[in-house]
Amino acid sequence: MLDIFSTMNISASGMTAQRMRLDVIADNIANAETTRTPEGGPYRRKNVVFQEVLDKAMGIRGGVNNTLSTDQLGGVHVQSIVEDQRPFKMVYDPSHPDANEEGYVQMPNVNVLREMIDLINAQRSYEANVSSINATKAFASAALGIGRG
Amino acid sequence: MSGLFNSNFGTLPAALDAASTRNTIIAQNIANAETPGYKRKEVDFEHYLQQAMGEGDDLELKKTEERHFQKYSSNIQDVQARVRTVSDTRITNDGNNVDIDQQEALMAANTIRYQTLSRLMSLTIARYNTVLKGVR
Repeated sequence: MLDIFSTMNISASGMTAQRMRLDVIADNIANAETTRTPEGGPYRRKNVVFQEVLDKAMGIRGGVNNTLSTDQLGGVHVQSIVEDQRPFKMVYDPSHPDANEEGYVQMPNVNVLREMIDLINAQRSYEANVSSINATKAFASAALGIGRG
Repeated sequence: MSGLFNSNFGTLPAALDAASTRNTIIAQNIANAETPGYKRKEVDFEHYLQQAMGEGDDLELKKTEERHFQKYSSNIQDVQARVRTVSDTRITNDGNNVDIDQQEALMAANTIRYQTLSRLMSLTIARYNTVLKGVR
């Protein structure tokens, strides 16, 4: 039974990570035209970095075969949120208060189309984790049915 | 298991455990489907079980060094699922090799396998119940 709950935790960690990615994407889309930020300058696109969670303390058994124990597996987590270092878009708009002497405005390096694609990706990954949880639930009910005839 | 109980009581729990392990591994793979550099994990069980049941080849492996591959236990009850990492392939530019569709299909198949095995376990228990009730 413990195994079943730890499997659910793995899927839940995937859902948490994808939800965080959704938050970041929403932030990117909301700020696609923000030219002023607390740090100064236009908004920079943010991106999440996923990392696998492995309990190294448990050690890896079996050396040669690289055999892992399922107790070690902890799913995934967002290791960090990084800023996209690509250059800002330069848009010609002399009437804009943040325009420079030549009339160009630095706009965020957010590509809304790309964000939408990432959004769909995150959504599908989230759903994949939900279906893992459902499969695990089917496991639990099958196991509970043993011996009931 | 000796005497009264046949080997189903040994193999079925082992197979159920293996299916459960595989479920955990697939969940981990799906959770990490977009982790850069993550390598897919797989569970080997059926192969070892077949070996233990003598259905594989009977040739012994020659070992010249303690850490060489060995044939695993020939006792069916001792057969355990083994997790390995498939690290020599990649399907995306970030080095990840999880095919999420394949993992979903594996998970569906594995769920049905688990349900089948648990049903078999129930039937095995029911058979003993029938015998025990007949004695009384």
